[in-house]
Order: sequence, then structure tokens, then C-alpha cells
Amino acid sequence: MSFAADRAQAVVRPAHAAEAPAPPLTYVGIVTRAIAFAVDAAVIQFVAIAVAGTFALILSVLSPPDKFDGVLLVVGSAAYGLWLVGYFVVFWSATGQTPGNRLFQIRVCRAVDRTAPSAGAALLRFGGLILAALPLFAGFLPILLDDRRRGAHDMIAGTVVVPAPPVEITSRR
Amino acid sequence: MGGSIGAAVVRPTVRRINRTAVATLDGLLASRLAGDVVERLAASPLAARAAHGALQGPLVEALAGDLVRYRVADRLLSEGLVEQTAARVLEGEELEHVVQAALESPTVERLIASAIESRLLDQAVVRLLESDDLWLIVDEVASSPAVTTAIAQQSAGFAEQVAGGVRARSRSADAWVEQRARRAFRRRPAPPPGPEAG
Repeated sequence: MSFAADRAQAVVRPAHAAEAPAPPLTYVGIVTRAIAFAVDAAVIQFVAIAVAGTFALILSVLSPPDKFDGVLLVVGSAAYGLWLVGYFVVFWSATGQTPGNRLFQIRVCRAVDRTAPSAGAALLRFGGLILAALPLFAGFLPILLDDRRRGAHDMIAGTVVVPAPPVEITSRR
Repeated sequence: MGGSIGAAVVRPTVRRINRTAVATLDGLLASRLAGDVVERLAASPLAARAAHGALQGPLVEALAGDLVRYRVADRLLSEGLVEQTAARVLEGEELEHVVQAALESPTVERLIASAIESRLLDQAVVRLLESDDLWLIVDEVASSPAVTTAIAQQSAGFAEQVAGGVRARSRSADAWVEQRARRAFRRRPAPPPGPEAG
């Protein structure tokens, strides 16, 4: 059987999903979410710095004319913005979990059916995240007071953050 | 004529006498008296003196010469007697008992202790450490899949343990911060977790 077929037959399911009783419906609080976000920020910046450093070394050898500095700045900023937005949108819409979320075993999902948000909803959530941070992070205060621990960005995108058990990948035979 | 008649009469008589003598000897040897006599002889100084004299005399040289001359060792080896004896010794319980007794004896313990404390062992260890083959083996073992897998599993297990601890503490911090915030904003406490939605 090919690798692709193996992957196609692989199922991702919560560990001990069959034998364990369903956990109570809970939502994740602000501290856990903040630490998970910090982990994601570290990943994003580490990759960005590594890539930027590599390009800086290359450019130091090529020595482009000074008039290209502005263009390079714009291109670099656009690439960074794309990387930043893409990171969250892709992970949220794919599995509901960024690497930081995976580490802390939490998951972003739609409030109505607890499935992963669509790419549009994930993009909307990221925009809401920026807006929530702008007024001195006041947009995150509702997480402390809302019964479902939703921030402004969750309310905008219709999402919640819930605990996610560790996943195991098993081969269906 | 007379000689043949004499032979015809004498020979059966001699045979009969011989048979009687042999039967008497067998009976005598089988008797308890013969056993007692042999035991007394063996225990007597006479037997010791006889053995001493025999070993001092030319008997030993003659016996050794005959052993070589008649190739006794070769014959024994060719008949597989040595193999059979070795197999019997190895399979028997006697060897195990002997080895066990030897291992438990203070003499062997002293021998081993003196061997460990000897300069020879130190030199052997130094030579072993200086040999390239040893480090080749160490490299092979260290890079073997079993060892690398074990190290990776242990590292992953430790990382998971640390992450689990951080997760537990962050969940506690969630509740603590939320409780303080709700109190500050005069909001009712957070509702308990509801049942899992299907």
C-alpha cells in the first residue's frame, strides 16, 4: 500500500475516545490561551528571523543598489504579514489548533457545532484579534467575564476555545 | 596303547578337578568371609607397605612404558571413551555441584579478590580503554536504533511531563484570574461545566 493510501486511511481521533466518558463542556481561560499564543508568537518570530537572516546574508553578498531598499522593505513586510496571517488562518481552519494550542491541548472551534472554523471565519477571527488588541487589549477582557470565555474576536467569528484531548493517529485496518 | 588309555582316564579327571576348583574358588570369592578378608587386607599396614613398595620399584616405569608401547591413550581416544566421559561429566549434576561448591568457597573468593586488586587487571583496563575497537563498539551501541529510540522516548516523556505540569498550572491560573475579575466587576461566579454537547 502506498504512503498516500496509508495517510488516507489514517484516522485522527481522541485518545481513549471509545472507552472514556464524554468530558463536561468547558471553555479555556485567558491565561492558558495567552501562554499558547506566546508559544505561537515565538514560533512565528523564530521562523521569520531565520528567514530574514538568510535573505539578509544573501543580499549582503549580492549588494543590490540602494534604490531597491524601499522595494525590499515592502516585499519583506508583505511576506511577514502573509506568514503571520497564514499561520493562524491555516492552522485554525485545518484542525482548530496552532502548535501552541496543540502544546496546551486546546482547540478553536465554531460555537454552534464545535467543528473547525472555515478559512473565512479564521481570517475574521484573526482580524478580530488585532482589533481586540488595539484598545490596550480591552477586547480580551470579555474572556474573563463571559460564561463561554469568549473574547471580542471569538464573538466576531462565532468561535469558542475548548479543551482538546491529545490525538493519536491510528491506521484503520 | 597304554598311553592313550592313560590319557583317556586322566584327562576327564583333571578337567573335573579343575571345574571343582574353579567352582570352589567362585564360592569362596562370593562368600562374606572373602569380602571381610579383602577389607582387612586393604586396611592393614601390609597393603600400604605393598603399595609403597610397588610405587617405589620399577613397576611404575614398566607400566608407563607399556602404556606408551601399546598406545593405550590412542586406543581410548579412538573408541570415543573420552568424549563419552566428557559428555557424562557435563550432563551430570556432579559438575554443577562442584562448580557451586567452588564458587562458594572462600578460596575462590580470595582468588577473585586478589585478581581484581592485581596490577594485571589495571593494565588490562588501561589497554582496553586505549584500544580503538572499544570506542568503535561504544559508537555502534550508542548509535544503535534501540538506544536512540530509548533516549528519544525518555526525552519526549520528560517534555510531555513538563508540558502537563504547565498545562495544569495554567488551568488553575485561568480559574483564579477569572474569579478575581468577576469579583472586581461584581459579576456572578462562573457557571459549572455543562454536559458534553453531542
